[in-house]
Amino acid sequence: MPEEEGLKQKNIQEMNEKMLSSIRPPTGKWVFLAVVLGAITGWAAYAWWVQLSTGLVVAGINRPVMWGFYIINFVFWVGLSHSGTMVSGILRLSKANWRRPILRAAEAMTVFAISVAAMFPLIHIGRTWKAYYLIPLPNSMGLWPNFRSPLLWDLTAINTYILGSSLFLFLGMLPDLAVVRDRSVGIKKKIYTVLAMGWRGTDREWSLYGKASTIMAALIVPVAVSVHSIVSWDFAMTLVPGWHSTIFAPYFVSGAMFSGVAAVITLMVILRKAFHLEHHLREEHFDNMGKLLLVISLVWSYLYFAEVLTIWYGHKPIEWEVFIFTADRYSFLLGLMVLGNAFITIPALCFRRVRRSVTVMLFISILVNVCMFTERFLIIVPPLSHRNVPFMWGNYSPSWVELSITAGALAGFALMYTMFAKFFPIVSLTDVREGLEMKKKLKIGRSTVNARIEGE
Amino acid sequence: MSKSKSNYKWGMVIDLDRCTGCSACVVACQAENNVPVVGEERSAEGRMLHWLRIERYWDGEYPHVRARFIPVLCQQCDNAPCEPVCPVYASYQTPEGLNGQVYNRCVGTRYCANNCPWSVRVFNFHEPEWPKPLNDQLNPDVTVRSKGVMEKCTFCIQRINRGKMKAKEEGRLVRDDEIQPACAQTCPPGAIIFGNMADKGSFVFRLSRSSRRFRLLEDLGTEPVVIYLKGGGREGA
Amino acid sequence: MEVLGLFRNIETAAEGVNNLLGENIPEDTVTSLSSVPIPKGTVIKRDHSAWFQWVTLAGGVIGAAAGFLLAAGTAMLYPLYTGDKPIISMFPVGIITYEFAMLFAIIGTIAGMLFQMRLPCFSKKAYDPEITTGMIGISVICDTEQERDKISGILDRSGAVRIRTDEEVK
Repeated sequence: MPEEEGLKQKNIQEMNEKMLSSIRPPTGKWVFLAVVLGAITGWAAYAWWVQLSTGLVVAGINRPVMWGFYIINFVFWVGLSHSGTMVSGILRLSKANWRRPILRAAEAMTVFAISVAAMFPLIHIGRTWKAYYLIPLPNSMGLWPNFRSPLLWDLTAINTYILGSSLFLFLGMLPDLAVVRDRSVGIKKKIYTVLAMGWRGTDREWSLYGKASTIMAALIVPVAVSVHSIVSWDFAMTLVPGWHSTIFAPYFVSGAMFSGVAAVITLMVILRKAFHLEHHLREEHFDNMGKLLLVISLVWSYLYFAEVLTIWYGHKPIEWEVFIFTADRYSFLLGLMVLGNAFITIPALCFRRVRRSVTVMLFISILVNVCMFTERFLIIVPPLSHRNVPFMWGNYSPSWVELSITAGALAGFALMYTMFAKFFPIVSLTDVREGLEMKKKLKIGRSTVNARIEGE
Repeated sequence: MSKSKSNYKWGMVIDLDRCTGCSACVVACQAENNVPVVGEERSAEGRMLHWLRIERYWDGEYPHVRARFIPVLCQQCDNAPCEPVCPVYASYQTPEGLNGQVYNRCVGTRYCANNCPWSVRVFNFHEPEWPKPLNDQLNPDVTVRSKGVMEKCTFCIQRINRGKMKAKEEGRLVRDDEIQPACAQTCPPGAIIFGNMADKGSFVFRLSRSSRRFRLLEDLGTEPVVIYLKGGGREGA
Repeated sequence: MEVLGLFRNIETAAEGVNNLLGENIPEDTVTSLSSVPIPKGTVIKRDHSAWFQWVTLAGGVIGAAAGFLLAAGTAMLYPLYTGDKPIISMFPVGIITYEFAMLFAIIGTIAGMLFQMRLPCFSKKAYDPEITTGMIGISVICDTEQERDKISGILDRSGAVRIRTDEEVK
């Protein structure tokens, strides 16, 4: 028996090593990746500097399309930030066992996506150097921001979400940080010791931790729903035909979850390949995420159908005009969006073989996110181009500055994520091990079945 | 929705029967309010900065083509949709019914421009330039705006303020013909009439009760203050 | 003083706890240390009531008040009319109140949890890095050196792989 136990110890040590393989010293490939991503981000920073010094004339923004790629990016990245909340929060609450390897990756994605999103309001405003006017700090000028404006609701909600999701990530990481602390030496050990806050894993700590995790998951889900509803109300509160629709809040929230879950799937494929996690991110995980994606795709398609149905049936001249304009001028993009989000994705995800194939899931998840970006474009730009007064109709196309900053946002996000994976456990180590150790094979009747263990 | 206790409620009537589309009002506005010149190329990109524009639509088929034109400026709405959406209170309702724009408070989110149904709000996409000696023509009563700031027609609030101050000094209310925005002052056929709607005897009030009256996009419920009078055989009247 | 015995698995750890209880060591001085949560009751039978949930609730209430004062209170202080919206509009005030309530509730949960866990701890505690490779630790708090030796003996006899005390920690 001692040899068995010794073996078990060694197995656990190996498993820890494997799941923490991202924290190894950087390889040449990693440095190359970081440099490339850094270069793209640097180019985007240069593009932003050009915009700050010359003015928004270098962007494609014009009258009447006063909001363009920056707001599209903003909405897109806020949507992506719903990945962690959906996967981690909801799956924790529903106690879905297959959530275990994915939690950390999803929660980290949330924090970094919302951080990237928070940059875009600064990038898109005309006088970024006066952005502090938006913050309610008492000042000698007797000035105060306007809480009746949806942009201030945005500020509040995104602030709440950044702090909330960072704390959520930290909470999830606490036991894993203890594992990393125990196997590191020198200055790294000191840093991880501070971060792990003296976690020892006593039964008291675990009991409180479990309760806190449940409460946090229950709190973060309504916050996520409110954040994207508030972002959607930036549009729905206006009188712009095509924007002033009551369905915007549920529609955007479902779109965000759609985009987020697809992004988690993409991330799962990448992490699995990069850190050799084939044993932990198995086909059954992709199968289940595929089912989740299918359900959300159905919800999104239903809400979109409801919106277009209302516009078509009511046939209010201005709203119908906007819709026909969109279908006419952007027919390719509209078709791509509907195909990619609904007509290809839904039938494909109904098949088990598709869901279990890692390559196909990668393709579908990237397709979904490309189509969701297109959807944001089609929501924001055509209604602004084609408004109440025909004399002021106009078109929009992004300039090099906007495209650079879009690329820079993606590169910056990837860079932050790569840095994070280098210093922090990217697989939710403790959850995975808990899942493995709390299983036993029981002989019942004629066969041996898997049983999950729960405490008294 | 301000419960106005002011003696003044500024309003404007534009008589389309008299308007010839000469665009003198556009030039006057630009001169009076230090509106930067954007240039042909930038205007084609959609960055035009005219506070007051003459909208021109073509009606009919050749050779029976008619031009329909209408000067459009900030409608100074009573329920302005551009005001609640500004996050920094750069756009607000003055007690006299004007839609105030505070240039040095604006951070340039452009939300107000999106929410204006007539798209009358303009944005400074680049730093305005007045190469010498054009800077000598700048009106010292009006701020010069920097890039990144929204601006729009203010009913020449600098002239309104000057008129009110003069009247206050003399211990009376502003007389009917005393204050005229640049566009009203310049209009050759006298199509633009400006005045105090709270004064039931004023010219603008009497004109506003014409049976030819209409307002642009009235059904949106924003209560625009600019009243147009149909005419010129262009509205079928 | 704290004595920590390391055991290879739940069964031997439970045996150690039973032996300790047999020698009249009170159960509330005994805790388990593990890298994954052990099913409740298998090693230590104790119910931990979580009072930090009240901190969550308090945070929610304080946050709601803060949000309301921020949106409605400050609007009263800086009354500027915008459009047809009243100075204190219920919908925006409601949204801000909700967001701040959730923010303070979330912060309250984490702060309350850490407080009740007594983390971060600045005093020395007995610990062994091998706990994160799957060993189960049984830690006993005692007052005198005599008790410490007695407990070490019991744990040793129950099959502990290693004994550590809090004085060893650097």
